[in-house]
Amino acid sequence: MPGKLTKKSTHPLFVFTHWTNAVAMLFLTISGLYIAFPIVGGLMGVARGTHFFWMFVLLINILIRIIGMFTIKTACEQGGEGYDWDYKNWFPQKTNKHQMWPMIKYYLFFKKEYPITGKYAGLQKLAYWLSIILTFAVAYTGFAIWGPTQDWWIFRIGNEIVGSLFGFGGGDGLMPMRILHHWVMWFILIFTMIHGYLATIYGLKASKLIFMYKDD
Amino acid sequence: MGSDMTFYETLSERGVSRRDFLKFCGSTAAVLGLSSTFVPALASKIAGAAESGLTPAIWLTGGKCTGCLESTLQARYPNVADIVLDLLTLNYSAASMATGEYALEAKKKVYQGDKPFIMIYEGSVMTGLGGNTMINADGTNSLNDLESAAPYAAAIIAMGQCAVDGGWVRAFPNPAGATGMTEYLRSRNIDTPVVNLAGCPASPEELTAVVVQALLLGTDGTLESGIDAVVDDLDSLGRPKYLYNATIHDSCPRRGHFENGEFVYRYGSEEEAKNFCVYPMGCKGPQTYRRCPMIRWNDSQSWCVESGGICIGCSTWNWVDNNAPFAGRHRRVGAARSGPLAGWPLHGGGLHPIATGAALTGVVGAALVAHGLGMKAAKRVGKNATLKTEEMKEYDRKRLKKQGGAV
Repeated sequence: MPGKLTKKSTHPLFVFTHWTNAVAMLFLTISGLYIAFPIVGGLMGVARGTHFFWMFVLLINILIRIIGMFTIKTACEQGGEGYDWDYKNWFPQKTNKHQMWPMIKYYLFFKKEYPITGKYAGLQKLAYWLSIILTFAVAYTGFAIWGPTQDWWIFRIGNEIVGSLFGFGGGDGLMPMRILHHWVMWFILIFTMIHGYLATIYGLKASKLIFMYKDD
Repeated sequence: MGSDMTFYETLSERGVSRRDFLKFCGSTAAVLGLSSTFVPALASKIAGAAESGLTPAIWLTGGKCTGCLESTLQARYPNVADIVLDLLTLNYSAASMATGEYALEAKKKVYQGDKPFIMIYEGSVMTGLGGNTMINADGTNSLNDLESAAPYAAAIIAMGQCAVDGGWVRAFPNPAGATGMTEYLRSRNIDTPVVNLAGCPASPEELTAVVVQALLLGTDGTLESGIDAVVDDLDSLGRPKYLYNATIHDSCPRRGHFENGEFVYRYGSEEEAKNFCVYPMGCKGPQTYRRCPMIRWNDSQSWCVESGGICIGCSTWNWVDNNAPFAGRHRRVGAARSGPLAGWPLHGGGLHPIATGAALTGVVGAALVAHGLGMKAAKRVGKNATLKTEEMKEYDRKRLKKQGGAV
């Protein structure tokens, strides 16, 4: 990956939220799989407690990250000196908005030249938006099957829609919603695998920066 | 009930004391969500209605196992609910009375008469083969029966899950074309209101609650004057709100064990003997809206979870397809509705949601490994990487220049 990654590309707060995301996902995945499929006995209570605790951590964390997006300035380009609000990195920028299609061709081996991108490449921006959407999706489907919240009108509507789409005849839709919640977890895992692969295929410098806040 | 006897005399003749009756009124008030101050009003309404005249009712049946009727008639001795149900004079009941010309005449008299009547429908509406999946002794079929009565009824009480949405009869592959009352009436443009009593079977207490609610809300003390008010107070699935506004889980007697993290993981275990929560065994209580923990079954003796079983979600929509395997945490997914694989995924196997998710993730993982090898083969990564960045910079410059911007 060309260009330098410096501390200016990120911010200690984002290092913190990235760590929190990683740890929360680990706990949520393990506890969630156990709740869905308690292969050994005795841990259901622990698994449920863990799941709810880290669920709130993950939600508060994503709110902090979104607030940080609008209140913290970071470098707009790799190795660049220009600072701007972090959220601008999430949208197409003037210097790289035409590079998405060359990027797709590059990764499908149809193009040899690596497009020079901003701090985040075109596909990367899309993927990061997807990560926010997936987090909201997993939260929504989770609240829709959770006893204390499943009767809130906003979740009831979702249950009824999901029930009519996947419920073999409509109704409350809590069973298909449960399966959707489970599958969103797999989508998040798939995102994480691709994310990890692309972040490290050119070396560990991106990982060093986001995990340890160390310069190139 | 003899017309020359008072209501309380009738009760005592059937072995029900006034005290029993008031106790019944108290529990019915609780089911309806009313405070105990309503009990005297409730008692006088019921007594008044019983003495002022009976509302005719017919009990028609579609595709069913007769469980709902069994459930309604399950009393060990004449109980109070039976007597309240006597407020409906059941002029015709397909399953519980001797059939013949006399019965058919009695039925016709009800829906061709002037008096508004209530139709109780038990079982699924059998639409397959033009309705000929269920044929009466006189050569007519169950759809003829339904359609000759339904448009004239003051209201239809869909008794049990089969009448609500087709129930277990509707389960895949459903060769009889079983469907629910609401769905069928809509398809035939019949606008008679339907009160859905979901569950397999429906319980007599649920039917009683609807009858008593109609009496309470009626303007002139008769049942038929209150049935419109009952219909106005249904939820989005056409069920009385007070009967289906909470899940089994909400008031489950094992809920404390759930909150404490005490679960049964295997039948025959020590945990089961301690009556711990059966959620890991596949209990559908958290997703099933019904009042079983309060109403219970068989004269309020017990119910599924209290007696050690799991809730299989019998009051949820198309519950067999949606909840099978009953002892599983998830249903199987991926249903082939036609073709050589029809039925294979849903019954006798199917795809487990965890297996499908894990398989998809595995495929992506393998694709990433392959991609990584490709990246190495193309010399894009590693020590000898030769990324052609200069050409791309040139491309970028040209493009920006064309758009009038600076690099």
